[in-house]
Amino acid sequence: MKNRTRLFFGIAVGVLVLGLGTGLLASYVGQNFTLIGGNGPDSLSYVPADARMVAFADIRDLANSELRQKMRQFEPSTDTRNKLEAETGIDIERDVDEIVAAAWPGGVSPQSPPLILARGKFDSDNIETLLRQHGATPENYKGKQLFVIADSSHTFAVSFVEDGLVAAGAAAAVRQAIDTKASGTNSVTGNAEVMKLIKDVDDGNAWAVAKFDSLAAGPFPISGLAKELAQQLPPINWVAASGHIDSGVRATVRVEAKDDKSAEDLRQVVRGFMALARLQAGQRAEFTELVNSLELGGQGTTITFGFSVPASLIDTLGHLAEQRRQVAPAPAVPEPAPAPSAPSL
Amino acid sequence: MSDTHQRRAPSFVSSALRVFDLSLGEMLWSRRTIFMALLLSAPVILALVSRIVQAMGVAPLRVNGVRVGGAGIFGMMIWVLFIRFTIPMLGVFYGTSLIADEVDDKTLTYLFTRPVQRGAVLMGKYLAYLVCTTLVVLPSVMIVYFLIVPFPEIAGSFHLLLVDLGIMALGLAAYGALFGLVGTVLKRPLVVGLVFAFGWEQLALLMPGYMRRFTLAYYIQGLVPHAMPSDGVTSLIQAVFAESPTIITCLLSLAVVIVVSLVFGRRAIERREYVLEQ
Repeated sequence: MKNRTRLFFGIAVGVLVLGLGTGLLASYVGQNFTLIGGNGPDSLSYVPADARMVAFADIRDLANSELRQKMRQFEPSTDTRNKLEAETGIDIERDVDEIVAAAWPGGVSPQSPPLILARGKFDSDNIETLLRQHGATPENYKGKQLFVIADSSHTFAVSFVEDGLVAAGAAAAVRQAIDTKASGTNSVTGNAEVMKLIKDVDDGNAWAVAKFDSLAAGPFPISGLAKELAQQLPPINWVAASGHIDSGVRATVRVEAKDDKSAEDLRQVVRGFMALARLQAGQRAEFTELVNSLELGGQGTTITFGFSVPASLIDTLGHLAEQRRQVAPAPAVPEPAPAPSAPSL
Repeated sequence: MSDTHQRRAPSFVSSALRVFDLSLGEMLWSRRTIFMALLLSAPVILALVSRIVQAMGVAPLRVNGVRVGGAGIFGMMIWVLFIRFTIPMLGVFYGTSLIADEVDDKTLTYLFTRPVQRGAVLMGKYLAYLVCTTLVVLPSVMIVYFLIVPFPEIAGSFHLLLVDLGIMALGLAAYGALFGLVGTVLKRPLVVGLVFAFGWEQLALLMPGYMRRFTLAYYIQGLVPHAMPSDGVTSLIQAVFAESPTIITCLLSLAVVIVVSLVFGRRAIERREYVLEQ
């Protein structure tokens, strides 16, 4: 074998070895991140391992975002926020830093609201007083004080499980969350399947990971839609969504189908919707940028779908909404009854 | 005397390795290598352009107006550029030339007059083809992968690259063996090879029924982990008639093609009387 042939094969093998080494290292580091770090917020240690839905929102980041500042202009009134603060003593944007919501089959019935873990700075004395005024009864559970409110159908509980961390939801769910934290081992952070998805979406300031059938059966706003979709779409296992909200919105939805065939069928469905969106965007120039940002990807059983809502589109939509509100007719005022006229002579 | 001579004759394996050593350099520094370099540099250049465009914030590829991610672009390049074009093309050009070139150059006599089995000549040349093409194609695929797929996505898609590399090597082995047999048996093998790879295979894959089972592409495509890109009418028709064989079927079929082609090629070269035109 000549020297130049040896040199060529040395380079070729070198490229292969370097590539394989880099890829293996990247894979190893990627898996390690899942096992060691990048495991989402600390509050996950209260969520049981069999969680079927976990969602997170960095409220501080969202409240300070440019988009939120713009949205304030279009808010008709602050009555709802003021009412919530008067009833609970919590101003979400001022007091809460981050929120984790979770649901699981054992602790939360399909009709119950998910467990909410809110981290922030709370005036606990004021909140406790308000809870008592609303009929909450204090109860001690494994060293934590629970405020239990029972109505005809559900029993809710609120507890300051840590300094600056409030757990709220169905009483059974709050108790199970306390048990999970106390056990130290049965939390969702030990569920590799869920944590892999969380690791993938943890880069946004709001994200959610859910078993698709739990979405369809749960108490969430999209449950009706998910139920309808579940009947129409190929079998879906997990859904993960991540959003980064600043001046605009950048979001990625990741779907884990049951098998390769289902994933391919789902891709075809998404492609169809994208074609439809593109067709619609042809008539509305302001949506062109949004449609151009649509991104479909994924391999095997994974389907990823990404899009960006640019700040300019949000401005346009905000102004349109404002114009509609101004153009909308004022509530009808009953016309005064005609004054009785004097009989003509 | 005859016994002494037979004892000195090298074994089939050592003969094949000797021919392999001789052919490797010849094959690598032949004019065909320029063709192969051009063929394989095209995806690398495309990947480089795609990377630059991506860095500028522009989507390098859109299908029906939808932006395709890095791993998606890589999968599409594997399908369109490598599996459906580069691998059959290299198989045809190199495979058919293994013996045919020696006939055309009238140098086959020199090999046949050596004390080696004729079958070892074919086997040695086939091994040289396999090493030569594999060590050029696989690094090219590797470079394309790292240029196109963003680093954070590597952990999730690297195992698919390994599968792709295996499929490339298997595809080169299968096409090379089949066209090696064609080159050994037929007088104008290149034309037959081109018609088979870019005529028959393309047509049979579009036809409903069992005809596609008589192509190599059917079994190679059955192993590809990437979803078939629906970017054209051809893909759409293929998707309509999609009938993916199992991985075991694909691997067994390709193994049978390789073994049968080499066995028949060996038999053909040992029995055939080559008449070199003066």
